[in-house]
Amino acid sequence: MSIFLSNEIIVFLLIELILIVLMAISQVNIVRIVRHWDFNATTPLQYALEKKNYLVNTILYFTVTCKVILFLFFIQSLNALAGIVPGAMCSAGVVGSNHYGNALLLLKLLLIFGFGLWLIVNKLDLASITFPYLKRKYILFTLLFVGVLGEFVLEILYFSNIPLTVPVFCCSVVFQAPRLPFGYTQTLLVLFFYLLFGSILLLNYLKQTMASFTCNLLFLFIAYYAITYFFGLYIYEMPNHKCPYCMLQKEYYYIGYLIWGSLFLGIFFAIMPFLIEQITKKSYVYLLKYSSYCLMITALVCTFYVVRYYLMTGVFL
Amino acid sequence: MSKILIQNLHKLYNPNKPNAFYALKNINLIVENGEIVILKGVSGSGKSTLLSLIGGLSKPSEGKILVNEQNIAKLPDIMSSAFRHQEIGFIFQSFNLLEGLSVYQNILAPLALTTLSKEAIHENVNRAMQLANIEHKKDQNVGSLSGGERQRCAIARAVVMNPQIILADEPTANLDKENSLMFIEILKKFKLLHKTVIIATHDILFDDLDCIDRCVHMRDGELVE
Repeated sequence: MSIFLSNEIIVFLLIELILIVLMAISQVNIVRIVRHWDFNATTPLQYALEKKNYLVNTILYFTVTCKVILFLFFIQSLNALAGIVPGAMCSAGVVGSNHYGNALLLLKLLLIFGFGLWLIVNKLDLASITFPYLKRKYILFTLLFVGVLGEFVLEILYFSNIPLTVPVFCCSVVFQAPRLPFGYTQTLLVLFFYLLFGSILLLNYLKQTMASFTCNLLFLFIAYYAITYFFGLYIYEMPNHKCPYCMLQKEYYYIGYLIWGSLFLGIFFAIMPFLIEQITKKSYVYLLKYSSYCLMITALVCTFYVVRYYLMTGVFL
Repeated sequence: MSKILIQNLHKLYNPNKPNAFYALKNINLIVENGEIVILKGVSGSGKSTLLSLIGGLSKPSEGKILVNEQNIAKLPDIMSSAFRHQEIGFIFQSFNLLEGLSVYQNILAPLALTTLSKEAIHENVNRAMQLANIEHKKDQNVGSLSGGERQRCAIARAVVMNPQIILADEPTANLDKENSLMFIEILKKFKLLHKTVIIATHDILFDDLDCIDRCVHMRDGELVE
């Protein structure tokens, strides 16, 4: 059996392909728009470009929104594949079944952030009569389109290299000693998590966009390890279950969606003001407030599981 | 104050196709604030196309349409809709009323999405009904109105947002002489209110009216002297 015959992968790749075709059509028009755009002109060419711009914007808005939603479907598809990949008990086994999986997931995450940035710049551009960010918006999209093409190549490589006869490692890796960043222990990792979290809240309060941007990129990295290798243990109530995906399942009341969702949204809202400032020279610091709210949800939910476990058992894992 | 300035305006339908044709060719026109202008010409001369461009219903192929020094041809669709909503009152030949609703509800429709209070909305609708002389039919379903009453309901709806510019496309084409004369009475009220009015018509009733400031003739998409 081929992995490409599974329903989820057929649907996923078909949608990806349709979106890529739509983006490619838009990209061809974008080149023409960017080359000849002169808003002050009242020539037939400029009016034709303005019509085309409207069409391209509509297509891109649709495709970019679809890509964001498709990310959730991708996560679900990975979990569904666990049923046919030997040894895999959840998405962890499927993602880790070859060395393309984690790279693909990281690229997808970066592209989601990129698409979010594009949607905000697009909104600002359309809110102004003169389309002031049109060229920058399309250059940003061109970069994202290159990323999407790379992502598609990675997807094909990833899916075609998932072994269906050789068992893969899944949550069985949990019995190995965790490979934490910088050789940290779990205690140091958690301390660093709370320290960075506190710093981000302070920087967001002080509206320091650049510092918050930097801290949040680091926090994304640290939070991933802290949630997987520390907080996850309390969610699963098992000292050896170190998995970032199982918490997305019904058995754990889908709490992973709240934890990862609030974390990614919090980081998204924190890094956007700095990036938007660079592109549009407009202040979007109010997003930092939402970042703080989202990250507080992440920290509170994670902390809740640790406290609850301690109150129930009187010990830490 | 809504001065309309049209410069070098062209409208090409079906560009890059064998059946491409210019509905408007090199139109240059100035309509001063408070002026009532008649666009005259036979069917297919480009009157309705010109009105739809001035009202922001469609975009030109070339040239400028400046309303209050703002080129409305350049407005993004969403802003174009807002401009139409606030600045323009349209009166159509076929009235375009919402069947099944009462006169009051039809006139209220443009105000439905505004943030005005209920009292202000009620006041505006009453003012528009009085102007169009249709307040006695306010609770009647528009389906049961006569042609002239439907026209007056459409006029009230066009002015309920108190627009400075009123565009009318063949407003008397579906009316008998008595109702057409009633429309002219309303036109005189517009003059007193200092509204800018552009009427596309080929009705001879509008010839030599005192309230008309200017008559512009169109032929084959061009303005003729």
